[in-house]
Amino acid sequence: MVIEILGEALKLMVLAGLTIAGILTILIWKKGLATRVTYLRFVIQAAALAAFFYIFTYPIWLLIMLIVILVIPIAFGRFFCGWLCPFGLYMDLITVARKALKIRHRDLPDRLNKFLHNLRYVLLLVFLLLPVVLLLMDPLPSVQLGIVLAEVLGGPFKPMNILLGPIIPLIVPWAGPLVIGDVNFSYPYVQDIIGYTSGIYATIFPLIFVALTVIGSFMIRRVWCRFCPTGASLAVVNRFKGFKWAPALHLDKDEEKCTKCGICKRVCSVQVTDVYEQKGGKIDTSMCMLCLRCVEMCPYEGCLKLKIGGKTIFESRNWLKPSDSD
Amino acid sequence: MKSQQKKYMIEISQKEIEELRNSVKATSRKVMAENIARMKKTSKNRPKAMEYFDEVADLFGKREKEIQAAKESGKKVIGYMCLFAPIEMILAADAIPVRVNSGWYDTSKLGDRIVPVEVCPVIRSTIGAKMIGLSPYLELSDALISVLTCDGMTKLGEILSDYKPVWAMPIPRVKDSPQSLRFWRDGLLTVKGQIEALTGNKITRKKLKSAIEKTQRATKAFRRLQDLRKGNPVIMGRDAMLVNQTYMWDDITRWTEKTEALCDELEEKVRRKEWACSLDAPRVMVTGTPMIWPDNWKLPTLVEEGKPQGVLVADELCSSERLLYDPVGVDEWTMDDMLDAIGERYLMASTCPCFTSKDGNVDRINWILNKIKEWNVQGVIYYVVRGCMSYAMEYTRIKKVLDGINIPVYYLDTEYTREDVGQMKTRVEAFLEMLTARIDI
Ligand code: SF4
Ligand code: SF4
Ligand code: SF4
Ligand code: SF4
Repeated sequence: MVIEILGEALKLMVLAGLTIAGILTILIWKKGLATRVTYLRFVIQAAALAAFFYIFTYPIWLLIMLIVILVIPIAFGRFFCGWLCPFGLYMDLITVARKALKIRHRDLPDRLNKFLHNLRYVLLLVFLLLPVVLLLMDPLPSVQLGIVLAEVLGGPFKPMNILLGPIIPLIVPWAGPLVIGDVNFSYPYVQDIIGYTSGIYATIFPLIFVALTVIGSFMIRRVWCRFCPTGASLAVVNRFKGFKWAPALHLDKDEEKCTKCGICKRVCSVQVTDVYEQKGGKIDTSMCMLCLRCVEMCPYEGCLKLKIGGKTIFESRNWLKPSDSD
Repeated sequence: MKSQQKKYMIEISQKEIEELRNSVKATSRKVMAENIARMKKTSKNRPKAMEYFDEVADLFGKREKEIQAAKESGKKVIGYMCLFAPIEMILAADAIPVRVNSGWYDTSKLGDRIVPVEVCPVIRSTIGAKMIGLSPYLELSDALISVLTCDGMTKLGEILSDYKPVWAMPIPRVKDSPQSLRFWRDGLLTVKGQIEALTGNKITRKKLKSAIEKTQRATKAFRRLQDLRKGNPVIMGRDAMLVNQTYMWDDITRWTEKTEALCDELEEKVRRKEWACSLDAPRVMVTGTPMIWPDNWKLPTLVEEGKPQGVLVADELCSSERLLYDPVGVDEWTMDDMLDAIGERYLMASTCPCFTSKDGNVDRINWILNKIKEWNVQGVIYYVVRGCMSYAMEYTRIKKVLDGINIPVYYLDTEYTREDVGQMKTRVEAFLEMLTARIDI
């Protein structure tokens, strides 16, 4: 029975992912240069979503995932956030819906946005330290490393789950909080919230969270990314001295080509101002998730670039020109 | 404004006005014909597609009649002085945008009767043109958008308000602050309301979108033309400048088509290696005060007819390459985002010297440096008309920067007059001589 449900859910999920990917691939070739990366990104996000679903069927992969998520940023910055994160995809899809309704998003004041960005590091620290504090308050009978680790990672408070929160697919291969027919539905963080609450609150709080993030991301692009501790953890390394080379994958600006037209600032879904403000050279910010919308929209050839090491992978173009494939 | 007392304008008899207009018009016709004839003569392999632009360049010709006819069928005409006026909004309200700055030398003398000679001749000439009703586009305008950039422009709007409704758009002098953008955007909204009230057409989301797409197509053609000038000269600078400038009064859709056709032809020439002039001609760029057709064409003429001959491959003039190089970049096609995009395109991307920032007008410096590299410029002529303070004052900084990268720059100041052509010729040719010598080494 469980296996059957699982199989059903899997099929649905993959089907959904592939459908989205298919439709978007067609759209990419139809659209002009100014939106091509955005659509390509959707395809990869959808494919990633399907992949995560599979990964969730194997707990051991989950652990590996976590490590990967934490290690990748050293080299690739927050590429994960821009291109792979399922929660990010949900929010981007809500943005597409909003655009279709011709409703404008709202912006957070820059200062608040920066404050939240820093607050995430605090949140992250709290999440990581909480199990240790709990442990100290209620010491274990034995201090063997294995037991301590097990308690920290798998005890009543699981920081790992918080970090994996955004990756939860909408349809999960286990007994999710919401079952319709044979399909188990879930939503990022909801299971954790249920875990910490009980009784009626276990219903109300998750609903509030879902409502807040759905409405929130309808109004403010990528709203959860402004709070998300996972996103923060991804960026934490390049805050330290000695890690200036990191991430190797980064944006780069040609000062002389930039007219300060402001487009990059306006189109950024997490309101990164550094691309606009920095003079030139490597853009040094842990807020950017490398979604490349700004590179795609900057109207001057070669002004903004995505570089890895010293090599340029992608650069801004004169998007008014018809592309070669048209 | 029938009974209202004129604030600035002096009384001139109708007879005198007519006499002056006829004589200046006759001179102007001659000048236009002569300029075009000389452009044809200088340019080997002049593209056939230029014929269209030669025709619209006639300020008293086909386009005047077209606008006249459109006006009779109920369309409104909205004039503007600086290129900060939001063309997209004018188009969205189904009105015709025309830029009305004047390049007539003779009318600048008339302007002297109202403002002192120390004032920038672009301003004096526009005032003079209005005094005798010379400029067809200024006369046909139902309202004028006056952007308060430099002092001259600010007062020009005030003076012209003796004749027509003038909508002043204050512009912040510092670009890169959120307050500036908000302030400018509010100004845009006000003008939007004024345009809607004048034309009786509401600027809807759909209309604004299609207007933006229209100017984006124009920008695309415009940039294609400028990009073609990066390689070996396939078009003379004067021809390209004329194409650029006709955008200020031509029908935008038609202009776009014709420019694309011109580019097709030029690309063909590139393939066949038919260059417009000798490949040894020094590649010159001009920057500075706007140069306006038809009279103020003397510097480009001197450069491209000089001995040795130079070729203008790029410029940083608001009457030419700055007109249309920057596109309106819309992220989401909502009204608000389009308004922001329009606001940013005009304000933020501009390198007009009326701006400053934490680091001065560093955007202009960067843009000039970029142009020099991308267009392979060998020498820069810094052109200023007497009375144009902001350009004159930025020279020192730009010279320092250009000295740093070893690009010769020549400061050329002049007036709205034909009298100094001989003396200018000597100066320009000496500069070209020097550039040629440098290239030989
Ligand atoms: S910040 Fe968090 S929610 Fe946003 S994309 Fe990154 S991991 Fe996903
Ligand atoms: S979009 Fe490009 S040119 Fe415009 S401000 Fe950003 S980096 Fe500069
Ligand atoms: S700065 Fe550019 S690449 Fe980074 S998140 Fe913003 S739009 Fe995406
Ligand atoms: S230089 Fe600036 S102020 Fe002068 S006409 Fe051009 S845009 Fe207007």
